[in-house]
Amino acid sequence: MMSFYDSHLVLFQATFTGLILALSIQVPLRMGVFSFAGAGSYGIGAYLAAILVIKQDASAFVAIGAAMLATAVIGLLLGLLIFKLNGLYLAMATVAFDLIIGVIAINGGKTTGGSTGLYGVITDFTMSQLFTITLIALVLVALSEVGRTGRRVDAVRDDPELASSMGISLRRYRLTAFVVSGALGGLAGSMNVLVRSAIGPLDIGFGLIVLGLTMIVVGGSRSWKGAVIGAVIFTWLPDVLTAIGAWQELVYGIVVALAAVFLPRGIYGVLVDLNKGLQRRSRERHDPPPAAAEEAAGDVDPTTGDVRELALNEEAVP
Amino acid sequence: MQDLLSVVTLGSIYLLFALGMSLTWGTIDILNFGHGAIFMFSSFTAYLVLQQTELGLPLIMLIGLIVGALMSLLIQVLAFEQIIKRAKDKRAAEMQILIGGIGVAIIPLAIAQHYTKSNPFGFSKSTFKVNTWTMGDLRITNIAALSIVVAVVLWVSAAVWLRRSRQGLALRSIGVDAETAALMGIDRRKMALATMAVAGGMAGLSGVLFTFGLGAITPESGDTLLVKAFACIILGGVGSMRGVAFGAFFLAAAETVVLTQTSGSWVEAVSFGLIFLVLLVRPSGVFGRAEVRRT
Amino acid sequence: MSAQPVEQTTTPVLELRDLAVHFGGVKAVDGISMKLMPGLIYGIIGPNGSGKSTLIGAITRLTRMTRGELLFDGASYEHVPPSRLAQLRVTRTFQTVRLLPDLNVRANIQIGADARTTSEQKAGRRPSWFERLRGPAASPGVADAIRRTRLEGFESYYPSEMSYGTQRRVEIARALAMDPRLLLLDEPTAGMNQSERAEISGLLRDLREEGLTQLLVEHDVQMMLDTCDYVFAMNSGQLIAEGEPDEVVRNPAVQEAYLGKKWGKDA
Repeated sequence: MMSFYDSHLVLFQATFTGLILALSIQVPLRMGVFSFAGAGSYGIGAYLAAILVIKQDASAFVAIGAAMLATAVIGLLLGLLIFKLNGLYLAMATVAFDLIIGVIAINGGKTTGGSTGLYGVITDFTMSQLFTITLIALVLVALSEVGRTGRRVDAVRDDPELASSMGISLRRYRLTAFVVSGALGGLAGSMNVLVRSAIGPLDIGFGLIVLGLTMIVVGGSRSWKGAVIGAVIFTWLPDVLTAIGAWQELVYGIVVALAAVFLPRGIYGVLVDLNKGLQRRSRERHDPPPAAAEEAAGDVDPTTGDVRELALNEEAVP
Repeated sequence: MQDLLSVVTLGSIYLLFALGMSLTWGTIDILNFGHGAIFMFSSFTAYLVLQQTELGLPLIMLIGLIVGALMSLLIQVLAFEQIIKRAKDKRAAEMQILIGGIGVAIIPLAIAQHYTKSNPFGFSKSTFKVNTWTMGDLRITNIAALSIVVAVVLWVSAAVWLRRSRQGLALRSIGVDAETAALMGIDRRKMALATMAVAGGMAGLSGVLFTFGLGAITPESGDTLLVKAFACIILGGVGSMRGVAFGAFFLAAAETVVLTQTSGSWVEAVSFGLIFLVLLVRPSGVFGRAEVRRT
Repeated sequence: MSAQPVEQTTTPVLELRDLAVHFGGVKAVDGISMKLMPGLIYGIIGPNGSGKSTLIGAITRLTRMTRGELLFDGASYEHVPPSRLAQLRVTRTFQTVRLLPDLNVRANIQIGADARTTSEQKAGRRPSWFERLRGPAASPGVADAIRRTRLEGFESYYPSEMSYGTQRRVEIARALAMDPRLLLLDEPTAGMNQSERAEISGLLRDLREEGLTQLLVEHDVQMMLDTCDYVFAMNSGQLIAEGEPDEVVRNPAVQEAYLGKKWGKDA
């Protein structure tokens, strides 16, 4: 009899590679760079690793390393080309980049296996190696969310002008976003092809962008924890939903649509807001509430009123 | 000549599809990624109706038009209005609408995939039969001719309406400056709903015509068209009616050239490459007004 | 590390020569020259739309200038990217509150201190990659800035939980945490009540005593008179008067352009 772990091995693998894919889109997003290039890098990484293993007999680590290096460099070049575009335009340029990778894969002849893709990518890559690499990548990404780097990433995203006046080079951060996104995408793609032993053009199309995006939209776009939540949900949801049978696709769609519309910061964002609320409550119980502190500060002046009200009055004066 | 005719036919389909997207993007700042799903699902609804009863071409077109307009309204009210209400600024709203559109589009796709098992569906049960007319060396199907006529008529009326009518002026002023438009007493919500309905109707109509033209489409065909329409719009310039027509026919011509000159399926890459090229060289498009927003 | 005005009395901290910023046909700033000497508080007054904020934007390199020269400590910097200005220890506050909503007060102020540590590290020891990622555990500048702006007790609050006036104090604290040599303040007391204004004025005077050069855009004439050593009056992108604050306030051209209505209201 198979244990739960053995029978769901594929899902565990998909969770890890899906998580890295989600991170490859989330990292630039967190810096305010709307790039979906991670999905294209995933395709490049997967094909490159497959070719290296099949044609050059490369080991798993060489294949992964080469894929990451290549996608990081491509990410840098892409970034230098398009990092000045903003918002929607940047998003669509990167979508175009992703889709071009798919067309190249179909038309690559023997090298990419055309529309059937490449298969028989067999190495000694193990589950524990997959787990370890994923963990390392996750820790590195998590480190970029705390301390000074975390604050600066927040500033670059929320207020670029303020960020530059605080000595933060927007250009450097945006380019870094492209490089890291490329490397993570390459990592996800190469590891995925090593555990699944095959890759085809259908695996790297528009659906891949949608998958990565839905993971972070539903999980939460501001933190690695959101990506973990999203990766777990969207890898396991289809499996859980088999219980309700043929309508699982529809439920999946409804979940994504609801999250996209009503939870712009995802499940993790909701948890953060709840936590902030709790903190505020406990603070109000233990410390002097802000109102009291402000009254103390304004005690000198008998005319102290609601400061916000005054602010409004001030704006009314031409 | 025959090639030119097929360029015009293909371009008309692109134009019909892209026209609605361009209209909403250029006027009410909504880049609707559900547009492809509306296109597909309107045609799919017509297909479902045809399973029950036989219908002629005009009624099928009407179904496409109505279903498209209704879906578009539904998306606007249930998704985009909610997003705009909650977004902290315009930039955030834009991206959230893009993502919301992608999310919403999954639902109709899932329904269609469920019924068709992702197989192509067509209108074989309709009473309308596709014929080929021959004029000298030229051959054209009646449905291709119809597509061209519908596309041109809709394009001209949209352009004239935007330029001439009071409502059109109001709509254009929303696109240029939402605050001024509000001050002028323009009911932004009503205008937005009307625009979305018109755009959706166009998507539905193009879905039906496209299905007739090809014989059958798959539930996923909306996605590809979406990216192609985006290419048409930015090639011509967002908000420009001349631009979207130019983009549609240019893309059709470029694709036809690539199709006839190369082997393999590079034709798909044309639109993606064009997007990239335009954004790098001239982000405001050929006819577009200069981008006034700053980074 | 605090600035020593005595050594540099001859070189202005900041000098503008014929600075102009045009947006298409609009001449927001049109040929402004000024010198800021170390350790003084300068003020800019002028009606709305006279180009005050654009001027601050051009000085901090956030707004592209059309022509002219910018000199800091006598060295021209008109080609330096805005993010490098932090290394010169030039900083600013904005006309509207610009705090990061997801960070609490301490972290918002820490962003200013981060800029300082970066420039210090550039000068000296290379930190390990881990230190660079995390930043220093606690910067003395943050505690100091919190104390000076009387924000003790608010450290763990988020911007949305505080009043407008308090948020503005956090902005000033963030600028102070950078240990600036030149501080540009764009209407720092907008939305504050009289006692808060007096408090900020006192703080700016204290900073002046320590040698910090400041340039203040201000609407409130009383605040200007109480705080500034020297005042520039702007209208339609040009300087129409400069001098001692009470002199400028009495200048007929200034009164006509700006003070006629405003003065009566505030006095």
